[in-house]
Amino acid sequence: MSIMDYNGGALIGMKGKDCVAIATDKRFGIQAQTVSLDFTKVFQINPHTYMGFPGLATDIFTVYEKIMFRKRLYELKENRKISPKALASLVSNLLYENRFSPFFVEPMIVALDEVTLEPYMCDMDLIGCVNKSDNFVVGGTSSSQLYGLCEALWEPDMEEDQLFETISQALVSACNRDAISGWGAKVYIIKKDKVIVRDIKTRMD
Amino acid sequence: MFLTRSEYDRGVNTFSPEGRLFQVEYAIEAIKLGSTAIGICTPEGVVLGVEKRITSPLMITSKIEKIFEVDKHIGCAVSGLIADSRTMVERARAESQNHWFTYNEQMSVESVAQAVSNLAIQFSGDYDSKEPAMSRPFGVAIMFAGIDNNGPQLFHLDPSGTYVQYNAKAIGSGSEGAQQTLQEKYHKSMGLNEAINVILNILKQVMEDKLSPTNIEIVTVTPDKLYHMLDKDELQEVFDKLVPFPEETKASTSAAVSGTVA
Amino acid sequence: MDTIIDRGAPKARNFEPYASNGGSIVAISGKDFAIVASDTRLSEGYMIYTRKQSKLFQLSDKSVLGCTGCWCDTLSLTNIIQSQLKSYLYDHNTVMQPNSIAQLLSTLLYSRRFFPYYVYNVLAGLDNNGEGCLYSYDPVGHCEKVNYTAGGSSGVLMQPFLDSWLGNRTTDNPVTEEEALSLVKDAFTAAGERDIYTGDEVVYNIIKKDGIQTGVVQLRKD
Repeated sequence: MSIMDYNGGALIGMKGKDCVAIATDKRFGIQAQTVSLDFTKVFQINPHTYMGFPGLATDIFTVYEKIMFRKRLYELKENRKISPKALASLVSNLLYENRFSPFFVEPMIVALDEVTLEPYMCDMDLIGCVNKSDNFVVGGTSSSQLYGLCEALWEPDMEEDQLFETISQALVSACNRDAISGWGAKVYIIKKDKVIVRDIKTRMD
Repeated sequence: MFLTRSEYDRGVNTFSPEGRLFQVEYAIEAIKLGSTAIGICTPEGVVLGVEKRITSPLMITSKIEKIFEVDKHIGCAVSGLIADSRTMVERARAESQNHWFTYNEQMSVESVAQAVSNLAIQFSGDYDSKEPAMSRPFGVAIMFAGIDNNGPQLFHLDPSGTYVQYNAKAIGSGSEGAQQTLQEKYHKSMGLNEAINVILNILKQVMEDKLSPTNIEIVTVTPDKLYHMLDKDELQEVFDKLVPFPEETKASTSAAVSGTVA
Repeated sequence: MDTIIDRGAPKARNFEPYASNGGSIVAISGKDFAIVASDTRLSEGYMIYTRKQSKLFQLSDKSVLGCTGCWCDTLSLTNIIQSQLKSYLYDHNTVMQPNSIAQLLSTLLYSRRFFPYYVYNVLAGLDNNGEGCLYSYDPVGHCEKVNYTAGGSSGVLMQPFLDSWLGNRTTDNPVTEEEALSLVKDAFTAAGERDIYTGDEVVYNIIKKDGIQTGVVQLRKD
C-alpha cells in the first residue's frame, strides 16, 4: 500500500454559481485501524481561501505550517492578502523544493479571490504540479469513487443549496465505498459575504 | 432352457449370432429371483413397498434394507443382488449431490435414472480408466421414486441399463402376479393411502411369509415430506387399517397365483 | 579464425499469462426486467484494439452474462459456459435457469482457484418467477445476488453513483425500466470522462419475459 494511503481520507472541492465548496471526511487512522473521528483536513488560509490536504497526516501539518509561514511573509511584504493564484504558486514551489524527498500530500485550493471574489480552484500532486479546474477537484484514498460521482452529479452554475446537496452526496457515497474514509464529514460553502460550515453524518462502519 | 447356449454366453462384450447378449439376459433373469418390490406413482406422491425375506428367526429384521434414500426428494427400491445395488445407489447419491453442487437445484428423477444407467453397461473399462472394467452386468433392478419439477415420478431401471417411466411397477420374484393386480387396481386419481393399501394387499398375496409390519418396508415421497420411510408405529398403523380387496378380485387373483404354483 | 559472439549472460524470459483489456459492466435488476450494459472498447496499456467489441454474452432467452478483464480468459470462459449449457439441455431436457447458471459459473471459476480466469462477471436474467435477478462475481467464484452492480475498470467510479441512487430503495418504490436505463447511460458517460479503458459505445440488453431488447449509446471516443 502506498504511503499516501497510510492514514486514509477523502477531500473534494466544487465550484458553484458565485460560490465554491470544499468538503472533508473526519477519519484519522493508521492503515485499517481508526484512531480519531475528529480529524478534518481542511484549513482556512484567508477569509475566502481554504485548502484541503489529502495524504500522510504528519506531512499535512508540516506542509500547512510551512505554507502559513511563507504566506504571512508574503502578506507582510506585499501588505495585501494573497490571491488564490499566488497561493497555488507558493505551494507548488514549496513542494517542488523537495522534488527528491517529497512531502506526501496533494493539496487542493478552493477559494474566492479576496479582491475580485472570482471563484478559483486547483489541486496538485505531491511535487507541486498544479491542475487548475473549473468544475471540481478530488483527492484522497477514495478519489476514483469521487471522480465517478462528480462526473455524474456536477452541473454548471449550481446555487448554494444545490451545491451543498451535490458535494455532500458525492462525499458520503464515495466514503461508503472506501474502508478508510468517512466517519463523519464537514462541508464548507464559501460565499462572498459568509462561509457556511456544516457537519454531516455518514455511516460509522 | 438355457443349456443349449454354450458358445456366446460367457463374454459380456460378445453378441451371439442372433444378436443377443446372453449375460445381460441372464442378469435380467437373476432379478426375477429377488424379493418383491412395488412402486406406485400417484398425483399426491410416490409410494414404494418391499418385502423383506426373513430367512432366520435370529435375523435383526430392521437391519435389512431394500429401500434407500438417494436425496431428500428421491428414494429407490432395489431387488436382486443387494451387494451390486450398493454401487448403484452410491452412484445415484453422488450424481444427485454433484448436480446440486454445480447447479444449485435438485436433480430430476429421470436424470438420476439416466446417470445410474450409464453405470450399468460400463464393461469396456477404458471409459473411466481409474476403475477396473466390470466383469459382469449388475444383477439388480431398481425403481427410482421422487418428486421434481414435473411432479411425482417413478422410473424403473433393469440390468441392461434400460430405464422406463411407469405409473405403477413391480419387480422381483412376485412381479408377474403383482404387475397383473397393479394393472387392475391402478387408476389416475389414486390417493397416497389407497396406493399404500394396494401395495400392502399385493405384497400379502405374493409373499411366501405372512405379511407383518416387521417384514415389509414402505417409503413415501411427497411434495411436503419428500423422502419418508414409515417407522415401526406408522407401519403398524397402515397395517391395522388394511382394507382387503373385494372378494371377486381376490378370488380371481388367488386362482391365478395357485395356477402359477401348479 | 573462429569468431566468438558475446551474447552476454543468459536472460530469463518470464511468461506473463494475463493481460488487462479494460472494459466496464453495469447491471440493474427490477421487478420484471433486468438490464445489463457494457462499453465496447477493448484495449491494453495505451493501445486501443477495437472500439466495437461488446462484452455481453447471451446465454439463453432469459439470461445474459457480462464479462470483462483479460479478454482471452473471457472468450475461453464464455465458450466453456456455452458448451456446458448445451450439455445440460441435452442431458436434462430443460434450458438451464439463471440461478443454476449462477452456481455453475461459481464452481467453474473456483475450479481454477490457483490459476484463475482473470475475469469479472455479472450475470443478469429473469428468475423462475419472472423477476429480474443479478449475480456479481469475483475472479475466483465468489457469487453475490444483488439488485444493481458495476464492475470492470470503471466499477469503482460507477458503483458509488449507483449506491446513491438505488442504495436504499424499498419494495414499494422499485426502479423502473426507464430510470434504470438512464442511470446506466449516466454512469457510463461519467466513467468515460475519467477512465481511459472505458469509452466508445455502450451496448445494453434489457431482459424481459417477451424477449431481449438491445440498444447502443455513444460515448467519448478519446
